[in-house]
Amino acid sequence: MRIKPLLPLGLIASAALVLTACSTGNTESPETTEGGTLVYATGDAEPSCLDPHVGGNYPQALISTQYLEPLVGRDSSGTITPWLATEWETSEDGLTWDFTLKEGVTFTDGTPLDAAAIKANVEHLQDPETQSSTGYLAVQKVAEVEVVDDTHARFHMSAPDSALLESMSQQWTAIQSPAGIERGMEANCQAPIGTGPFVVDEWVPQDHVSLVRNEDYQTPGPENDHDGGAFVDAIEWRFIPDAATRNAALVSGEVNVIDNPLPADIVAAEAGDQISHIDAPRPGAVNRIELNSNQTPFNDIKVREAFIRAANPDAGIDALFQGTAPRSHSPLSSIEPLGYSDESLFTYDLDEAAKLLDEAGWTEGADGVREKDGEKLTVRFPVSTNQSTATEQSLFQQIQANVAEVGFDVQLEPLDLSSWYGALAAHEYEAVSAPYTKVGPDVLRILYHSASLVPAPSGYFANLAQVNDPELDALLDEASATLDADTRAGIYEEAQQRILATFTVLPLYDQQNHFLTQGVDGVTTLGTVATPTFVNAKLTA
Amino acid sequence: MTETLARQRRSMRSLESGWISVTISALFLAFISVAALAPSLLAPGDPLAIAPASGFTPPSLAHIFGTDESGRDIYTRVVHGAGSSVGIGLAATAIGVVTGAVLGFAAGLGPRWLDAALARVFEVLFALPTLVVALLFVAVLGGGAWSATLAIGLATIPGYARMIRARVRGIAASGYAEWARLDGAGAFSVFAKHIAPNSLWPLISAATLGVGQSIVWVAALGFLGLGAEPPAPEWGAMLDAGRVYLASAWWMTVLPGLTIVATATALTVIGRRFAQGGSR
Amino acid sequence: MSTPKGIAVAVLNKLGAAVLVVWLTATVVFLALRASGDPLEAILGGPGSQASPEAVAQARADYGLDQPFFVQYLSQLWRVATLQFGDSYARKQPVTDLLAANVPPTLVLATLAFVLAWVLALAATLAASTARGRLGRAIRSTLTGIETVSSVMPQFFLGAVLILVFASQLQWLPATGGASGGIRALILPVITLAVPIAGYLAHVLHGPLAEADTAPFATTARSRGAAESWVLLRHTLRHAALPAISLSGWAYGSLLSGAVVVEVLFARQGLGRLLLEATTVRDMPVVIGSITIVALLYIVVLIITDIVERIVDPRGTARRELGRSGSDATTEVVA
Repeated sequence: MRIKPLLPLGLIASAALVLTACSTGNTESPETTEGGTLVYATGDAEPSCLDPHVGGNYPQALISTQYLEPLVGRDSSGTITPWLATEWETSEDGLTWDFTLKEGVTFTDGTPLDAAAIKANVEHLQDPETQSSTGYLAVQKVAEVEVVDDTHARFHMSAPDSALLESMSQQWTAIQSPAGIERGMEANCQAPIGTGPFVVDEWVPQDHVSLVRNEDYQTPGPENDHDGGAFVDAIEWRFIPDAATRNAALVSGEVNVIDNPLPADIVAAEAGDQISHIDAPRPGAVNRIELNSNQTPFNDIKVREAFIRAANPDAGIDALFQGTAPRSHSPLSSIEPLGYSDESLFTYDLDEAAKLLDEAGWTEGADGVREKDGEKLTVRFPVSTNQSTATEQSLFQQIQANVAEVGFDVQLEPLDLSSWYGALAAHEYEAVSAPYTKVGPDVLRILYHSASLVPAPSGYFANLAQVNDPELDALLDEASATLDADTRAGIYEEAQQRILATFTVLPLYDQQNHFLTQGVDGVTTLGTVATPTFVNAKLTA
Repeated sequence: MTETLARQRRSMRSLESGWISVTISALFLAFISVAALAPSLLAPGDPLAIAPASGFTPPSLAHIFGTDESGRDIYTRVVHGAGSSVGIGLAATAIGVVTGAVLGFAAGLGPRWLDAALARVFEVLFALPTLVVALLFVAVLGGGAWSATLAIGLATIPGYARMIRARVRGIAASGYAEWARLDGAGAFSVFAKHIAPNSLWPLISAATLGVGQSIVWVAALGFLGLGAEPPAPEWGAMLDAGRVYLASAWWMTVLPGLTIVATATALTVIGRRFAQGGSR
Repeated sequence: MSTPKGIAVAVLNKLGAAVLVVWLTATVVFLALRASGDPLEAILGGPGSQASPEAVAQARADYGLDQPFFVQYLSQLWRVATLQFGDSYARKQPVTDLLAANVPPTLVLATLAFVLAWVLALAATLAASTARGRLGRAIRSTLTGIETVSSVMPQFFLGAVLILVFASQLQWLPATGGASGGIRALILPVITLAVPIAGYLAHVLHGPLAEADTAPFATTARSRGAAESWVLLRHTLRHAALPAISLSGWAYGSLLSGAVVVEVLFARQGLGRLLLEATTVRDMPVVIGSITIVALLYIVVLIITDIVERIVDPRGTARRELGRSGSDATTEVVA
């Protein structure tokens, strides 16, 4: 089976993205200049390592998009496009994949991009020393990479993997110079070497990373609107954790692009004409609250349904996000073509919720909190202050107040990341909200397959709803091994129906990923994990 | 300069600094005390009641401090938050004052070598930055209201100890304690009759000022994301939550912020007044 | 007492204090780590850390956790004394590198704020003392009020309001201080940091100044016909400044507290932000290193303060007086 990449479609899609990005702000394009330094201010945590193979989180994906590129791209319609690989082919049994690499490409250190480099990258991801988690999971089914010749790499799979291309399009499996990897983790974390439009120049911790233009750029990706490399000379990638300060810096013209803006600032930007807004929801799972189905009180589906029927997040989402975050009723992001939605499961109904709790044997206590066998209807809800924004935490408080109406006592506990992981590993939670970004519906297998109940050596497990359903497992395994697109879509729909019917998931909205820009044109986001690229960006005078 | 002269000057200053500010401060603190003990008298509403549709309402007659992002009434929350904010400040100060007083008395009344050693330690630890020391404790204990209280309390011990020790030394070296000792009074009775009462005013004064400071420090930990847990209407946490909306809803930050500043100011005015009372 | 020998003795004295500070800091850190349960877990970043077995083994060896308690304590002291803080677990970089990059910006910030605080405090004090009559009283009570309010002003509140007004609304000054920020980026952070300290210093200056103004030496000087302001500067202020100078060690320390807040708020690189970040992820090597550096900085300030004090007050009269009774102004500063 030969998969022909659909180039024109990708180009149209990216052009459309450029248009939507600009349409909100300036109607007339002001004078643009080439050269200059673009200043980007991020509110995501400062990475501890600039190599996204190590660990593998969203902040790493954001910055590494500027200097590392993946094997394949993905456009905004979800179609896989060529990038470092020009074409690919899979065997009938799905056990081997042949990738043809673009010819004559070198990394910015002069090392050639060849099949041996691809092999070194996959081995780097699979090496326990690398401490990769996201990238490691993505190449889990790759048994070995064979170097056929310089431009041909053959992936031998331990099992068919319908998500392989999606996995290899992510920033966490981006291809780096093997010579760079050879330097050891410490050096490579400071300045990974790739093929991207920029090169890491200097990293001043807590302040900024300097990126300079790759003068010899050879690998335009799906978002490139021209043949050559970047227009700006450099990017100053600054770390400004405070959202209000970040927006003040944007408004006063100190920075050109910010991420994680506050909803109110997005609304203000939309109303004015100085600042443009890019809305690029992340792929994978939606932001959702998951109910731990493995312990009291949520081991009873009636109690789970009662919670979900009483939560009523709609009013809060409208008020807090001011229209910037549409409500979701699907376990998957709205940009996932295979997402399945069912609004009827989430209608607000206090009477029904109270009735369900009565049936489940939870009776009204003196202080308004229900009780059963002397136990209070308490829901411990640890909140990661690193991963949930202030706005989202406000929404959780509203849900807390709403479910209190029917007698739930929700205990919100804001925690730093390590304590939060600790609480989850120790099963000290009844409700939790954990974002998970991955390209494609295979994220469902990571989040809801019983295999994900088994903790990693660190104690973390991804199946936080603790769904343990053999039939669901079978569906997810089957989908993962099915290469036929239609059959795969059907299986994923059935799987999502099963997941939603367990009432372990309260979908809220897409993982919010907004960017505000000022004094710059041509900022677009990749169709993979929705990170911004500045290869087309020009500063405006 | 003699003690008498100094005392005269101080009382002149106290007259100058005025009874007006003291009265206003006392009235304000009375209001805060009522808020802390019986908040429903001043604000009958529910501080946790949400109304998402009427979020971000500017101050008006219906909501004199406006509403927050979830439509909760900020005035009600400020009043109901007095208990926990002032409580945390008091608890942290209590930890600092009690431990500091014990150590300070031990140094001031103990043998010379102990005093020399402890005085050194106090002097040195006193000026270690409070917040930095508190962060060390938070790093070990983890975040949250209790550990913030404990961290601030522990971090302020050396200051109180240093002050008490200096005071006790001063009194012990002064004439009347010597006379009492010559009269054959026991060490304990000298302590109970002379030293403790004379150290009391400065200690009360310092503690009063300290409560104000502690409220500010605990709020600072809240600002750094290491304070009280939602949706408790603790002032520092409210200010922190509101700061996100500073540009669009200033009242969410400014009004709780001013409450913190006003409370700390009132405590400072009263605390300084106590210090003058003690010199008399 | 202000002889070179006197100063040398004083410096030696403070060096003794330096040893004491470092010893106490190391001890507190050591005990705090043990009190928190499994020290290895705390060192490696809390219960949720994804420490590899190699990192665990390395930390165990580094911290001598297989040794008896007392040996562990001594080796901890040795590491701190020799500034061996190891590698940051979060950043995978030597702690000394991180400190070298982060201490200078904080020093610049704190020193500028320190200078500004003194300037503001002196200006307020002079204005209050030279003003006479009814207007003078009004000025004085206004200034007293401002002093009191600013001394309790939380920096996170003041800074947020300054950003709102001067960066977002008026757009006069930058809100953040990146590498390209330059001097202009320092203005708002320095003001934010300086105001509360200025309030304290002004309060401390205020009282003794009123006393010193009517003291015999000032009256004598005035009767000799010296200009009013000259008298103030030459005699009164010099006397009045002593309690404030002796508080400078504390004031500088307090600036370092404030630096944590200000650096976070204005997104500045520095020791405070490094420490806060290390605290939230429980990166203990960085926490230990930062606190030790803060303690050492404080000692340097103490030594400088001591020398300045001896120059301003050669006979050490005020110092002895302070040492005996402790004036109300310096003892009220407990936190």
